[in-house]
Amino acid sequence: MSGERLPSESAPSAVTPRRAAVLNALDGVTDPELDRSIVELDYITEIDLGDGDSDAADSGRCGRSVTVNLSLPTAWCSPAFAWLMMVDARAAVESLPGVARARVVLEDHVHETELTEGVNEGQPFAEAFDDADGDLDAVRRELDGKARIVRQHRALDALLDAGATPAQLVTLSTADVTFDPDGPGSQRAVVSVADGAIRLCIPRDSLVDYVEKAESVGVDFESGPVFRTPEGEPISVDEFELVRRRGRLASVNMRGQGGVCAQLHESRQRQRAREAESAD
Amino acid sequence: MYRQRGEDVFVIDAHVHHWDASEENVKNDGGEQFIRCFYDYHTGFTPEDRQWTLDEYRKYSAERMVEDLFGNGAVDMAIFQPTHLHEFYEEGFNTVDDNAELVEQYPERFIVNGRFDPRDGEAGKRELERQKEEYDVDGVKLYTAEWKGDSKGWRLDDEETFEFLEKCSELGIENVHPHKGPTIRPLNRDAFDVADVDDAATSFPELNFVVEHVGLPRLDDFCWIGAQEPNVYGGLAVAAPMVQNRPRKFGEIMGELLYWLGEDRLLFGSDYALWNPDWLVELVMEAELTPEQRDEYGVELTTDVLKKVMGENAARLYDIDIEEKKKQFESDAISEQFGLGDDYAADAAAD
Repeated sequence: MSGERLPSESAPSAVTPRRAAVLNALDGVTDPELDRSIVELDYITEIDLGDGDSDAADSGRCGRSVTVNLSLPTAWCSPAFAWLMMVDARAAVESLPGVARARVVLEDHVHETELTEGVNEGQPFAEAFDDADGDLDAVRRELDGKARIVRQHRALDALLDAGATPAQLVTLSTADVTFDPDGPGSQRAVVSVADGAIRLCIPRDSLVDYVEKAESVGVDFESGPVFRTPEGEPISVDEFELVRRRGRLASVNMRGQGGVCAQLHESRQRQRAREAESAD
Repeated sequence: MYRQRGEDVFVIDAHVHHWDASEENVKNDGGEQFIRCFYDYHTGFTPEDRQWTLDEYRKYSAERMVEDLFGNGAVDMAIFQPTHLHEFYEEGFNTVDDNAELVEQYPERFIVNGRFDPRDGEAGKRELERQKEEYDVDGVKLYTAEWKGDSKGWRLDDEETFEFLEKCSELGIENVHPHKGPTIRPLNRDAFDVADVDDAATSFPELNFVVEHVGLPRLDDFCWIGAQEPNVYGGLAVAAPMVQNRPRKFGEIMGELLYWLGEDRLLFGSDYALWNPDWLVELVMEAELTPEQRDEYGVELTTDVLKKVMGENAARLYDIDIEEKKKQFESDAISEQFGLGDDYAADAAAD
């Protein structure tokens, strides 16, 4: 999980988007494979806030033209993943007041030119890569689906730790959950089980993050329980343990891959630092 | 031969390369970035005092390879997994024929695998026959992400691939090693898919599918398939070096693999020269699960489990008689060169 998030209230004034606000917007963009913020992962190498009003004419909006440079752990990181991060980053920065236009530049990647041009010119992925033969939305859905399973695992673990039983968890509905947004307990979520006889407190994030991702992949909480199998079906008590183990496996995979990426990233940063040093 | 608590551990490194990424051989940016990416993996997961320079790494001699693998007795035998990449390298990166030269020199120590590319059609099938005839290959390494002309890759469940798998079956090439590791195919279709292994494994139950790099970054998909398909195995290259600086993650990954696939279906591989077995074998052998991991997974990295993973499982797939080999190694060229004969003889005396 990311560290301290900058509160969204610190959003920029209309004319001077500050670096912090841009970073805050980018913090909401995740590496879709690792389900972690691209800011936390240290992928952002540069933010150029540009000159005010420079792009007013071609964008039809007043404000700055912000450029964000990204570098991924290797030159071979999946272009599909890179593409998703780049379009999300562009949209996040452009949603800020005072920003007329955002440009996202990918550095040190085998396809940096196609990706940078394609994303900033608003092309579809398949056009930027003429032999892309898949559906980028399907890639995103699949990765979001995995992120949901991992987040569900975290939420289930928290609830099991708090004393919930599998039978209580498989039938839990959103009506049983209170997030208590204001009080001093705002960091906790309160979950009622056993027909309201027992109330469990767990870290708020573990449930909020899960619900958010589950909604984005189309889990319908109105008509069914909160927790689902990886395939999206309600869980029977008998299969609860298998579902938990599959969630654990998905978490281990994501953390393992995160470790590989982090190691490559560090190694690349060291190499860059050496090159910069020898160039001086 | 590695020894742990008085027990001999016969190590078969099931994933090694003899590559050439020298500047003369690099054809284009693809080839240059490919070797640099490998080098990032190398420096990322190698203890600092054991790292190579990029120049050493581009091209290394056969002598160095032999010494790195066998010199201190870390590895007893090694299996070549070729990676051609002719689109990136003038003479190919790590070819069957280049690998076979070392097998010719040390036939008792090295095994070479073949390879095929279904996009080569009939000529490719004849080439596979030649590999069987000339080198008696028992396995093939498949690099589905390999570029070829306009194509940026292929799948194990393509119709043309099935024809080649049928050919493998006819020729008695039983071990199929698809690379399912870190995404190198730069397009979207294969980015995280191991589903094609499932289909191929179901359709060819007589073949063994050793999924290299245990599917990382798709360990979850891989284990789920492995749990259902008894002829699916996991090659530990790339997962193993995590033991060096991510020991907790290594423990979790081993826990999952042992839980879903079991101790009989995992094969150690260093991925040399990505990593050197001379330090890696020892770290893997010394690895321990944390008490929480032991509780969670209900498994242990005992010497018996590790003996299977480090050599016995590969020996079973490649019909290697370990006891016979030990006798042979009392006096083969490698043992003489590095003074290892006593290691194997000492064991014979203890029997």
